[in-house]
Amino acid sequence: MRSYVADLHIHSCLSPCGSLRMSPQAIVDAAVDRGIDVIALTDHNTCEMGPVVAHTAEKAGLAFLYGIEIQTREEVHLLAYFNDADACNALSEEVYAYLPDVRNDPEYFGDQVVVDEQDNIIRTEEKLLLNSITLSLEDVTERVRAHGGLPVPAHIDRGAFSLLGQLGFFPETTVYPIVEVWGATVPNECGQRAILRSSDAHEPEQIGRRTSVLTMERVSVEEILLAAAGVGGRSIRSEES
Amino acid sequence: MLLTDVVTALGLQVLTSGVDFDREVRGGIVCDLLSIVLAKAQPQDMWITIQRHQNIVAVAKVTSVAGVILADGIVPEQDVIDRASEEGIPLLATKESSFVVCGKLFALVSSEEE
Repeated sequence: MRSYVADLHIHSCLSPCGSLRMSPQAIVDAAVDRGIDVIALTDHNTCEMGPVVAHTAEKAGLAFLYGIEIQTREEVHLLAYFNDADACNALSEEVYAYLPDVRNDPEYFGDQVVVDEQDNIIRTEEKLLLNSITLSLEDVTERVRAHGGLPVPAHIDRGAFSLLGQLGFFPETTVYPIVEVWGATVPNECGQRAILRSSDAHEPEQIGRRTSVLTMERVSVEEILLAAAGVGGRSIRSEES
Repeated sequence: MLLTDVVTALGLQVLTSGVDFDREVRGGIVCDLLSIVLAKAQPQDMWITIQRHQNIVAVAKVTSVAGVILADGIVPEQDVIDRASEEGIPLLATKESSFVVCGKLFALVSSEEE
């Protein structure tokens, strides 16, 4: 058992709102600099940058979880975490298929570039990633779990793109043992749910501005769920930094 | 003005079944963020939205709005409609935009007051 300092909500340069400086190396360097043990990459509606950031993280001795931040039909942001690239990719491809065919306007939304470990631009994503897919929150949640992923509603206490903001309260039909909270105060609606805090970094300087401490056997989706339930001395603690 | 008159005047499609339309409509709210509707909607308001998530039924129930108009041709899943029928919440649909529905509803409700 060990305690991992985690920042599980980070955008790369592929997210239109993510800075072009959010290259794999810059993300990993910033995380190492801030004493973080595990990161997850959570670009909007895609995980295409996952493998390259995973490889860069591995070289630096940083644990990595594959992730994606999906924007559902209700304009709710749902984070999803996966142990391996294939499962995350499979989910990401489904999400992309339901993403409306709207072109990105880089002047307004920002560039969407896939880069390699040396910061070379591999390609530019033409479809606007910062958009709602046409699947419901419930449908997406089921699909995430079907691929072995862990769904976590993002920044539920924010006014925009949050589960509580868009839907008023937690739907009865869907269970989320873990939710991400942005501010210092945990909303009453969260009840006994485990609370994760992460940076939602769009710039390298923002990485680690919020972190969680996960006490568990190893870094995996299954272990995080056990930590949320407090099984065998595991725990999730979050703090504003 | 009664809800049944609003349904007729606006040519709304009734999605729910067995729901009583003999209820008073005095005003309206147009909003797709359920947290805002929970905070602002008044009893006897018509609620105009394009939000079709199942939580709309509970929000309508809690706020006691007179009915829910889904604009822009939005139709919720059948289980949402069934739930609204069970809870006695009128779900109404129109192909017109929220803007157009609001304009017509405002004129109707205002003419009643004069």
